[in-house]
Formats: sequence, structure tokens, C-alpha cells
Amino acid sequence: MSWMNSTQLERVYSLGSLAVLFLLGLVLPSGARSLVVQIMVLCIFAMAYDMCLGFTDQCSLGHSVFFGAGAYGVVLSIVWLKLGLIPAILAGALAGLVVGIPLGVVSVRLSEAYFVIVTAIISAVFHLLAMDMTWLTGGDDGMSVSLPKLSLGLAELSVYNPYTNYYLVFILLLGSYWLLRRVLEAPLGRIFVAIRENQKRVLFLGYHVERYKLVAYLISAVFSGLAGGLYAVTLRYASADYFGFYWSVLPIVWCLIGGLGTLSGCWIGVALMCVFQYYVSAWFTYYLLIFGVLILVVLRVSRRGVLGYLATRR
Amino acid sequence: MPEAFLTVLFLFINGLIWGLVVALIALGLALIFGVMGIVNMAHGDLYMAGAVLAFFLGPMLGDFWLGLLAVPFAIALIAGPIERYVLRPYEGHPAATMIATVGISFILQQLALAFYGGIPKKMDPPWTASFSLLGVDYPGYRLLVAAVSVAILVGIWFFLYRSSLGILIRASIEDRQMAQAMGINTSRVLVFTFVLGCVLAAVAGVLAAPVTQVSYLMGTDAALLSFIVVIIGGLGSLAGAVVAALAICSLEGVLSAILTPVQSKAAIFFLMVIILMLRPRGIFGHGNG
Repeated sequence: MSWMNSTQLERVYSLGSLAVLFLLGLVLPSGARSLVVQIMVLCIFAMAYDMCLGFTDQCSLGHSVFFGAGAYGVVLSIVWLKLGLIPAILAGALAGLVVGIPLGVVSVRLSEAYFVIVTAIISAVFHLLAMDMTWLTGGDDGMSVSLPKLSLGLAELSVYNPYTNYYLVFILLLGSYWLLRRVLEAPLGRIFVAIRENQKRVLFLGYHVERYKLVAYLISAVFSGLAGGLYAVTLRYASADYFGFYWSVLPIVWCLIGGLGTLSGCWIGVALMCVFQYYVSAWFTYYLLIFGVLILVVLRVSRRGVLGYLATRR
Repeated sequence: MPEAFLTVLFLFINGLIWGLVVALIALGLALIFGVMGIVNMAHGDLYMAGAVLAFFLGPMLGDFWLGLLAVPFAIALIAGPIERYVLRPYEGHPAATMIATVGISFILQQLALAFYGGIPKKMDPPWTASFSLLGVDYPGYRLLVAAVSVAILVGIWFFLYRSSLGILIRASIEDRQMAQAMGINTSRVLVFTFVLGCVLAAVAGVLAAPVTQVSYLMGTDAALLSFIVVIIGGLGSLAGAVVAALAICSLEGVLSAILTPVQSKAAIFFLMVIILMLRPRGIFGHGNG
């Protein structure tokens, strides 16, 4: 890897993976294709989480709230407001933002340990409420939804066509990656990284640290909402389970495996975990046991993850 | 006396007794955080482990109370190595310890699911006597739980404030580096504190087992409540944890007269948010959280 620095490596790797994903959509059999669609949706979630933990060092244990809010934002706006597919997906992202603002205002100014615990409490309480308010969420059974057609001005496409579904998700992954990359390369992103590296020094330089942390938190909330919405679209289903603790822990594991603070490194984590879950949970009932051991092993072996490991190996 | 008043009074007493159990859990959480900066996400599962172990050990030893005495040793055998070999490298980094203990939490839950099963089971209280309180039959075991919890809390207080090891622990909470510089064997203090915190949670689990149902997910609820308690009381503040536990649980008990359980949880949650807005380090909190 001596002929590339870490930024170039990251660039080549992400564009390469996007190109591979684009081609995979044409050739994969249907079973594997739906697995890859799920992986792409969760990649958006993982990138959103990386904005929080990887770039501003805010270890949130409550991102399932945004994921669930996004999923219900999409489902409810289709069922109740009869929105089209694109507006509904945007409504999902908006739901993430709407939930994120009050939670962010409360939690961002807390110190590290308080932040971790308070976000965990928030997600637990939202989970309880979602399970309880069955009239709104359908509770544990969830809600199914039949999707409207995707109208693109000239043509109308059905997302029940697997290709449409695949490339809709692909384009949104591409768009999210591009947007987040732009944010990180702008001065705003530099401040995020500076806050991660040394929060006190940034404060001394005269930046309003809490405000920037809140912005990062909200960006994270919006894209988590988008991911939750897309997840509901691909499964045509949302349930109170999306608010569960498991969905808050998953993004941490993805980012740790793939590499914190690399934006696209977490894709490796998502892909590995999804394939792992797909095959292991089929033959081993106590799959979460292995999941727990995996968390400990990953945390011990490398805090920079796979991509961080490759980038520093010269 | 009017019926409604009696109901509220009994809900209050129930809440207070539950608060004493939660105080044990939260005290363990606060001790562990205060001394080593570990946010123990597996704390609720140690509470569950205590209850499950009591379910097995009680009948095996033939007596519930022997089980209560045996559980701390079993938990110490689990918790000691966890602190020394799993958590030690991450101490002082709340985020990393949190992630590691989440892993431990998954492992404990799944082990309980594998060996105990997924169906909640009822455990018979070891003492079936009941008292007549204001003309209403009240289960004596609950009063016994309260008495044992108070005894343990007083014992912990004497241990922390009147024994030499307790002074070492409090010195490590105050300033870990300085304690080390003064020649305190902090490694020993760390293992001991972690074990003590976990044992407190497990003992709470044993005491609560005959009152609630024993299931592999019973820790989730207790963990949520004790996290709210330590946040309101102030992280690392031992007195804060106990006071907040009693206040919150009796309040939750009274609220359950008019609200559903989930609604009263949500009300407690909003109370926590308001307190955090006013005092970001909790009511008794100070220093670095």
C-alpha cells in the first residue's frame, strides 16, 4: 500500500465498492440480491452512525430511535397521508430530524459517560412507548404497507420490480455517500474532526463546540431516519422492534469492524455482519452469544477496523 | 380511611421496597463507575444472573437463604476475571467500556437463555407469612426484602466509611492517580470494587426473584431504572444513587395509581430530562462525569 496514502486508499476503495455494487445488481440471483439491498440500506445507517462516533466522538447508544422513527415516518406517511414513494422516503428522513432535535438539544451538552447512558435510556423509553402504543405503531406485530409507484415525471416504476428496488437503494446510497463526503471535506467536516481529536482546543479556538456537535448529531439523525425508512420500504414492513436496543448496538459493531472515522469503512462491517448473521443464525439458535463474543474480540484486536488497519500498514 | 388513600399508600410502600432493591443495583453501578469509569451495560444482566442462580442454587442447597449466601461467591468467580482480563484495557474510556459491557451483556443473556430457558418462571417466597397492615394482608416476604436491603446498605456504608479497604476505595473514587501515587494497590482495589458492585446487583436479583418473575430478560427493566437513578443522582455519587432510587421508585409506585406502567416510566423519563436540563451532572453530581 506504499504507493497510496490513506485518503487515496479510501477513495479507491469506496468508488470500487460502489462500482461493484452497481454491477452486482445486474447479475445476482434474487435471494442474494435482496441480501445486498439490505446491506446497502444498512450501509447508509452505518455511515450516519460514523458521523456521530467516528467524526465527533459522540458514542450514542440510541440511534435505533432515529432508525425506527424513519421507518414509521415512511410507513405512516404512505398509509395515512397517501404520499408518493419519494416524498414518503423524504418524510422518513424528516422524522429522524424531528426526533433528533429535542433529543440532541438535551444530550449533546452532556459529558461522555452521561451522553452514553442518556442516549441508551432514550432508546429504551422509546422502545417501551412504541411497544405500548399499538394504535400508532402496531406494536410487536408491526405494520405492513403496500408501496405506491415510484413516479419519475415521465415514467412510473413499480418498486416491486427487483431491479427498480435495487437501483433506488443504490442511488440513495451513492447520494448519501456523496453528500456526507462533501460535508466532511467542507470546513464543517474539518471542525468535526478537530472536535474528535481535541475538544478543549477547539473550544479555545473560539468555536461553539456544542453547536457543531449538535449539527453532527442531527446529520446523523437525518441519515439514520433515511436508512430506517428505506429498510421499511425494502421489507414493506415496520415494527416496534426497530426501536430496540439491538438496532442501537449494530451500528457500533459495523463501524468498529470497518473502521471508525472513515465514512465508507463501515461498509465492510455491514457486509460481514449481514452475511455472518444470514448464515450463522440459520444453524445456531444462540447467535447473539457469538455476536457478544465478536464485540469483545473486535474491540480488543483493532479500534481502527479493517480499513484503518490497511491504511496504516505501509 | 378512604379506599383511594389506602391504595396510594400501598403503591407507595410497594414502590419504596422496590426502591430499596433498585438502590442496591444502582449503588453497584455508581461504585463501579466512580472507581473505574466503567459504564456497566451488563449490570442488569448480573441482576438477572443473581435471580437465575438463586433459582438453581436454592433448591440445590435446600434453602433459599443458603442460596442468597452462595450467589455472591458464584458471581465473584464470574465478575473478577471479567474485570481483570476483559475490561481492564478500556478503563477510563466510558465509550469503550460501554461497548465491551454490551458484549458481555449479550453473552450473559444468551447463556441464561440456553441454560435456563426463555419462559419466565415463578419462584416461591421462602417466607409465606403475611401481616395485617391497616386491615390489609401484606406479604411478609416483601418486608423481609426491605429489612435485608437496609441491612446490606448500612453494612456497605460501614464498610466504605469505617474500614481501611473502604477508605482505599473512596480514595480511588476521589483521585485514582493520586491514590496510586500514595502506594495503594489500585489493581486489587479495582477488581474488588467491580466484584462488589456486581455482587450488589446479583443479591438484588436474588431478593427480587420471589417477588417478580425470573426470566432471562428481567435485567432490561431493572437496568433502565437503575440507569435513570444514577443519572438523576449524579454519576459516581453513592449517596445520590441510594436517595434517587428511593425517590424515583416510590414516585413511580404512586404514579402507577393513575398511569399504566409504560406511561409512568415515560413520566419518570421526562423528569430525568428536566433534571438534566437544570443540572447536567445530576442532583448530587460533581467533578468529572
